[in-house]
Amino acid sequence: MNKALRNPVVFTLFVVPALILFLMFFIYPIFSSIYYSFTSWNGVSATVKYTGFSNYTKAFGDERFWISVKNNGWFILFSVFIQVPLIVIFSLLIANVKKLKGLYKTAVFMPSIMSTAVIGILWGFIYEPNIGLFNKLLSLVGINPVYWLSDERFAMLSILITNAWQWTGFYIVMVLAAILSIPGELDEAAAIDGATRFQRATRITLPLIVPIISVVIMLSIAGAMKAADIVIVMTKGGPAGSTEVMATYMIKYAITNFKYGYGNAIAVLIFAFTLVVTVLYQVLIARRTERVEY
Amino acid sequence: MKKSMTLLLSLIFVSSALLAGCGGNNNTSTTNGEGNKTGTNTVEATNAPATEEPVSEEPFEMTIRHTQVGADKQKRLAILEDVVKKVEGDVPGLTFKLDGVESDVNRKEKLRGEMAAGNPPQVFDLFGSPDSKIYAKENKLLDLTPILEELGIKDKFSNLDPFTYEGKIYGLPIGGSGEGFFYNKEYYNSKGWKAPTTFAELEQQLADIKADGKVPLAAASKAGWVPLMLANHLWSRYAGPEVTAKFATGEAKWTDPQVVAGFAKYKDWVDKGYFKKGELGFEYAEYTTQFTSGEAILLYDGTWKSSVFKPGQSGEGLIGKVGFFNIPPVEGGVGDQTALMRDVNNGYGFSAAVANDPRQLAAVKSFIKNLFNEEMQLRGLVEDGVLPAMKIDQNVLNENITDDLMSEIVAVLNNSQSSFPAFDSLVQADVTTEISNIQIQKLIGGQTTPEKMGEALQKVQEEANAAVE
Repeated sequence: MNKALRNPVVFTLFVVPALILFLMFFIYPIFSSIYYSFTSWNGVSATVKYTGFSNYTKAFGDERFWISVKNNGWFILFSVFIQVPLIVIFSLLIANVKKLKGLYKTAVFMPSIMSTAVIGILWGFIYEPNIGLFNKLLSLVGINPVYWLSDERFAMLSILITNAWQWTGFYIVMVLAAILSIPGELDEAAAIDGATRFQRATRITLPLIVPIISVVIMLSIAGAMKAADIVIVMTKGGPAGSTEVMATYMIKYAITNFKYGYGNAIAVLIFAFTLVVTVLYQVLIARRTERVEY
Repeated sequence: MKKSMTLLLSLIFVSSALLAGCGGNNNTSTTNGEGNKTGTNTVEATNAPATEEPVSEEPFEMTIRHTQVGADKQKRLAILEDVVKKVEGDVPGLTFKLDGVESDVNRKEKLRGEMAAGNPPQVFDLFGSPDSKIYAKENKLLDLTPILEELGIKDKFSNLDPFTYEGKIYGLPIGGSGEGFFYNKEYYNSKGWKAPTTFAELEQQLADIKADGKVPLAAASKAGWVPLMLANHLWSRYAGPEVTAKFATGEAKWTDPQVVAGFAKYKDWVDKGYFKKGELGFEYAEYTTQFTSGEAILLYDGTWKSSVFKPGQSGEGLIGKVGFFNIPPVEGGVGDQTALMRDVNNGYGFSAAVANDPRQLAAVKSFIKNLFNEEMQLRGLVEDGVLPAMKIDQNVLNENITDDLMSEIVAVLNNSQSSFPAFDSLVQADVTTEISNIQIQKLIGGQTTPEKMGEALQKVQEEANAAVE
């Protein structure tokens, strides 16, 4: 080891810059948010009034807040049970194509590098009731126009589909990298033993990529808990608050109304809920699938 | 040892740079602090003569945060730029830095953050109610009362209420607006109709347009404020123009039968299919398009919309083919049935810190003098369709207006005997959020009744009224 790095003082000094950044941009904002969540601060005033747990009791007693929590739940469920299986299927398909693999990878990855605002507009056209693609297709089979974004029954689903479209490609590239890193000998050995393509995919490849699928699920859950931009762009939380998620609830009911104390309480709750969900997932599921031995 | 020393020095350098970077510029907060040392609750713009000492010509810079960004605000930006040139000529050494920011971003994010940190720009776009009152309460705004008195324009504004806090004026509206129906004159002429003079006539026209296969009323209700313009006017027709101001004081209730009658009329029009279908999914931009494309025959909007019907704008094809009328009187309606919904809620405010620098104060005085005068107000009206926020002689107005639509708008304004502001400047933010984001959309979507809507709003209103600041 380098002589200098054996010196504890030098060693500590190396750590200090990163530690300062970590404290400044992570620890301090969290504690500052927790502090303000117990106040009625309006975001401007120099004086801050302590109000105890009133912001939290207000949130827990507000029907709108629970609607937004439920919608975050829909994001998680849609990601885990619809999006992730699709990611795995597409990854396996792309991994096995012989030609134009690069083109497929680029095509599926493209939406994840596009701005959410652009995606919102793009899908706004697809969902447009009169000239949108979906309704044009439905009209071919004689179905009346569906008001995708203005009908409470379809608005949330429309957002979930758009959000999945945006991020599926990003995760496919991750899973694809894991599939392509599996030693080719395993696949070849199974083929020599007479395994079909389907059998090799489900019995060899799939078990070996479980750890990365687990990471994808974790990232999807974290992403689902902080979703906001896609909702703002597509429905603004409407119609009548039916697509509100926790982050948009925080903006609409707290920040916009000069209620920064309340807004911080919601931010703390988002943080706490995300922590609980991810810890539960880690403890109950992810740890069992952490290691794979070839 | 040499290596360790080099590493140590490097780390110290990096850490110092980091800490220096994190340090704030305390100049503004220091001046704020001094401002507060005066012991007064508000920082007043003193009229102390700044001429006792020779005026310094040292260069100095001030920032104007404006919201004139985008193609449709170029004319207003041109007016601001002309004012900037004049002020720079008036105040030796002054250079203005124009900082253009989108209106909502400025209002809800940037300015608030700067106010909290104590470093807002010297001049900034400001909303009257409730923003200016919150900032004024925290001593963040310059009290303009003495400046307006010195310039002799204190009584020249038609309404400064949204910018007034505890009797002092903290901001000046750049223009005003009135809300009413824009209608497709070409279609009306083809039917041999005229602008309706009674409510029954209006409703008959809506029914006939619907029967004709056209959309009677443009609609885009993704943002709640758009349908609320018309809803607000309707409940004010039924329950009186003063009713909304009484909700916050408890003198009136959202559940009052006449208020509910206003909601019911709106719901009635929704149920009859007078609005464009699927409106809850449409943005405000589509509101205009429905009208300019000829799909919708009527558009309820603010007078600012008149700028669309000018050469080079999206409604160019309708120049000379658009008229404007106020909502006709409602039979049995309370109060003045000619009352027009008018707002003067957006303008300019100034940082309280300006009071501590005589040269900046002089620049602010010059800015107010050069922007808030008859010439600039008329330019705003003629070039940009923005109604004057200042009182202007009718003859002068008539001389300057050459546009038919604007003449009609001014005639409607003159025919209305009173006006009232939009609900969001009269009720608490929580009530605004409830009606804009939930209740009006529920009413349109058929998920609530006018009665239930009134009850839900009254519940929030009572909580807001009871809340202790």
